[in-house]
Amino acid sequence: MTQRWMYVAITAAMGLAAAIVVWPYLGDDTGTTTVWVEGGQLLGVGLSTHLDSLAASMVLLVSGVALLVQIYSTAYLADDPRYRSYALLIILFLLAMIAVVVADDLFVLLIGWEVMGLCSYFLISHEWEKEPARAGAVKAYLITRFADLGLLIGIFVIGASYGTFRISEVVAQSPHNATPIALLLLLAVVGKSAQFPLHTWLPDAMPGPMPVSALIHAATMVAAGVYLVARLYPVFLASATALTVMALIACITMLMAALFALTGSDLKRILAWSTVSQLAYMFAAMSVGGREAGIDHLLSHGAFKALLFLAAGCIMYAIGSTSLSAMGGLRRSMPWTFAATTIGLAALAGIPPTSGFFSKDDILAAARQSASGQYVGTEWVASTVFVVSLITAFVTAAYAARVWFKVFFGLGKEARDAPRAMTVPLVVLAAVTIALSFGKQVHWEIGVLTSAITVVAIALAWWVHRGALTTPAVLRRALRKELGLDIVYGKWIPVVFNKASAATLVVDADAVDAYPRATAFASDASSRLLDRFQSKNSQTYATVLSIGVVAFTVLVAVWS
Amino acid sequence: MPLVYPLLLSAALFGIGVYGVLARRNAVLMLLGVELMLNAANLNLVAFDSWLADKVHGGQVLTLFTIAVAAAEIGLGLAIVLALFRAAKTIDVDDLEPTRPVGDS
Repeated sequence: MTQRWMYVAITAAMGLAAAIVVWPYLGDDTGTTTVWVEGGQLLGVGLSTHLDSLAASMVLLVSGVALLVQIYSTAYLADDPRYRSYALLIILFLLAMIAVVVADDLFVLLIGWEVMGLCSYFLISHEWEKEPARAGAVKAYLITRFADLGLLIGIFVIGASYGTFRISEVVAQSPHNATPIALLLLLAVVGKSAQFPLHTWLPDAMPGPMPVSALIHAATMVAAGVYLVARLYPVFLASATALTVMALIACITMLMAALFALTGSDLKRILAWSTVSQLAYMFAAMSVGGREAGIDHLLSHGAFKALLFLAAGCIMYAIGSTSLSAMGGLRRSMPWTFAATTIGLAALAGIPPTSGFFSKDDILAAARQSASGQYVGTEWVASTVFVVSLITAFVTAAYAARVWFKVFFGLGKEARDAPRAMTVPLVVLAAVTIALSFGKQVHWEIGVLTSAITVVAIALAWWVHRGALTTPAVLRRALRKELGLDIVYGKWIPVVFNKASAATLVVDADAVDAYPRATAFASDASSRLLDRFQSKNSQTYATVLSIGVVAFTVLVAVWS
Repeated sequence: MPLVYPLLLSAALFGIGVYGVLARRNAVLMLLGVELMLNAANLNLVAFDSWLADKVHGGQVLTLFTIAVAAAEIGLGLAIVLALFRAAKTIDVDDLEPTRPVGDS
């Protein structure tokens, strides 16, 4: 027990130190770049950090959620035999994430980025006795590693085009090669943040322990993609193509993931799809020029989604299952969890006065502004983003309400609320979720519109919950299978790879191997030929020698 | 007598000697080939001595000297062949493995 609290103390000390360092930078939009180690002549890679308001708020979010998760884990994983590696991996993850957030040098960022992916892999497979945990970890690692190639190549292209690997210097220059760089970085970002078409790893990463999902797969690591876009925003702004691609990816992802969440039957998987959908909101904001809106949504989502995952952990702790069918009527037996989850779901659905309402409002306002041609991006793209965001807001409110009704209402179940180490983080996160909305502006027309949509969605969800309304079975079945998009990765890509490797084998045997075989034959033949002269018979040597002497003499005699 | 007759004879002797050394597989006959070549040289020396009408007869003196050396050399060569025969039971040079020390069977 004391040992588990030791990790909490380490995380708290680190979080506190980070908070003290970054606190003065809150609200400082220009930021300060510090070079700790100058890059050498050979590589130009140094050790430098860049702190501004964005980085400071990210560091606070990451450290805060990590600390709460460590506290939560002392109770949630109380009987875990591998607690030490678990807690240390979370600390390592925290360090890597802070490295990504404060790095000014792209290679330092890359290192942090990869270490985060590694920690994610280890923590998903924390319960490696279970097959889904292993499979999910491998899948997450493969997909994100594939996408990270985009970051690596993108960094090389940045270095070649800008002559520097420092983000602050890249951003200060006028953009060159913006489209290829932005598209390469977008690949990395799409993989890390589980956007279409690389979205399938995040729901399958859910066999990891609940606090890990809350920290890594909801609040921080998956949001690192959004953060990267925000850091290199001028590069993205310079490329209309990249912004359009990002907007389309975000539109597809947000609506699709929200629909999957609407029909899901497992609470944790619903939350995972919800995360995918909300991340798409952030990208949508970025793609229409709403950097601030996207970051605000990142922060508020980090708080309320961590809250929802931790609350789901409390429910799982109480009833031993994450299946929605096993839940019901928990509002009386788990009052703390109920209250916190209500705030979290309200923020997810965008109900005022939670922070989710304001950040979603900002995103929609940015999209509308862009659609009227006042800011970056093509107008039709921005209009699409606006409409799809509204539809998704409707679906989001519907699934949030559905979860709320299914878990906390209906037939009662006997359960006891989770221990205090688990409920206190929930209360803290709920307070943050509301506190983040302080001092926010509201765009009234959009606010009224979204509120109306939300009310309709909740009403519909209530009717469906009461059995007065049913969704079409065909649609439900298709969505339950999540449109079978995994088949592409699970079946087609292996088939393509097998075919390609078989073809490669043929080419290798017939075309490539011909050269070594011919080489072997030629050297064998020439060695046979040369062997005639290497007879070890000194008389033969002498004969050749004398023939040579005679021939040489005759030649000299004839020519002279 | 024109110089060309002894020179032709000498060239013929030398050619036979070379052929003997190169073609014969019997060590004794190879030594005979070497002797033939030596004596072709001797014949040349004597022929040129007479043709140049050398007062001190350096060619003939050198020939006597060469004959003495050749006698010593053939004695040594035959001794080696004898030792070879004792060790390898053959004096056919094709049967003697050049890479392996003789007698190390």
